[in-house]
Amino acid sequence: MSQSSSDHVEDHTDVPSDPELRVKALESLLVEKGLVDPVALDVLVDAFENKVGPRNGAKVVARAWVDSDYKQRLLDDGTAAIAEFGYSGGQGEKLTVVENTSSVHNVIVCTLCSCYPWPVLGLPPTWYKSAAYRSRTVIDPRGVLTEMGLDLLSGVEVRVWDSNAASRYFVLPERPEGTEAMGEADLAELVTRDSMIGVAKVAVSSVGGAA
Amino acid sequence: MNGIHDMGGMQGLGEIGYRENEPGFHEAWEARLFAMVRALRTGSLRSGIESIPASDYLRMSYYERWYTAFVTRIIERGFVTSAEVDSGRADPVTVKDTPALTAEIAVDYLSITPKEEKDMKLTPRFRVGESVLGRNMNPTTHTRMPRYTRSKTGVVERDRGVFNLPDSEHSSGEPKPQHVYLVRFTGQELWGDDAPANDSVYIDMWEDYLEPA
Repeated sequence: MSQSSSDHVEDHTDVPSDPELRVKALESLLVEKGLVDPVALDVLVDAFENKVGPRNGAKVVARAWVDSDYKQRLLDDGTAAIAEFGYSGGQGEKLTVVENTSSVHNVIVCTLCSCYPWPVLGLPPTWYKSAAYRSRTVIDPRGVLTEMGLDLLSGVEVRVWDSNAASRYFVLPERPEGTEAMGEADLAELVTRDSMIGVAKVAVSSVGGAA
Repeated sequence: MNGIHDMGGMQGLGEIGYRENEPGFHEAWEARLFAMVRALRTGSLRSGIESIPASDYLRMSYYERWYTAFVTRIIERGFVTSAEVDSGRADPVTVKDTPALTAEIAVDYLSITPKEEKDMKLTPRFRVGESVLGRNMNPTTHTRMPRYTRSKTGVVERDRGVFNLPDSEHSSGEPKPQHVYLVRFTGQELWGDDAPANDSVYIDMWEDYLEPA
């Protein structure tokens, strides 16, 4: 790492970082002991990398935008309403859905740890788990949002949801103007992960934002 | 405990480091570690993570903290010995036949929403709309009551139902199921008159965290 590869022509493999080596050693130990099935680990990794993620949440949001009955069910009991899409699993009990409007803005944080609604958003991004976001969002939500590119009008009420207990929170963002003619599938393409955490609004130009 | 993890309201902890569309895992080892933790089902690592000394906690990445807490936990539970972790080789006497989580059941396992709410009828101590005061307490073990809520007055917005008090799992070991309430604290109550008048923080509080205001 300290010397360029041209100094060591024969040694051009990447030196694995320390945690990478330790985790690899731990996995082989647990496999050797019969405690862990590596194929089961593959299943879990694949699920959290490819199957569970903000595309799920985006579909839920789009449905709520076009179907007022569904929206009501979602606000009444988030866990039951996302189950209509087949979304369930860890970090999904007591899912509380909070609605952003022109007068109320909700934003989610976990000050103590990293609690996050996995079934609809997948695993949280690193910035959500950063010390700065966790510490400042409760004391200065408007400052944090401004830093992230969202300026709220002073008349807007800000509600911060600190996910410290069994409840997990999910923001139903405001449907942007000019989308009245769009169908559910196209609307889902507009919905970003950030808007479902409450650090952004949905913009008409944000197509495909929720990777 | 009054650890570094209880960060709500602190300042000076650096940059948020926002990146658009950031993946949940940045490196393969993070994903493997995450999967091992899930597969072994050793319970929450939070008390172990919170026990990491503050200077190390701030220096470590999120999944480095997980590694530290996970290794401590599986040694405590007797899954492995520290000698085995150090050598990377299993003591042949302790080898098991069947992993806790096989590939066959992993898929089903992912779709199960764990139920933490208790089907118990307990008389709630507080009612919706009531003013409550966050207790001034300083437990040295795990709690879900952030210190910014201590000695602050809020209003009960919702009764969440009955859940086990997480603090009890780490101190007495005796389960303490009780009502959990969604409580709203105004920004001005928490942070003073300079906070915007129409901002508030909503947080779930176990009954033991509250007293009548």
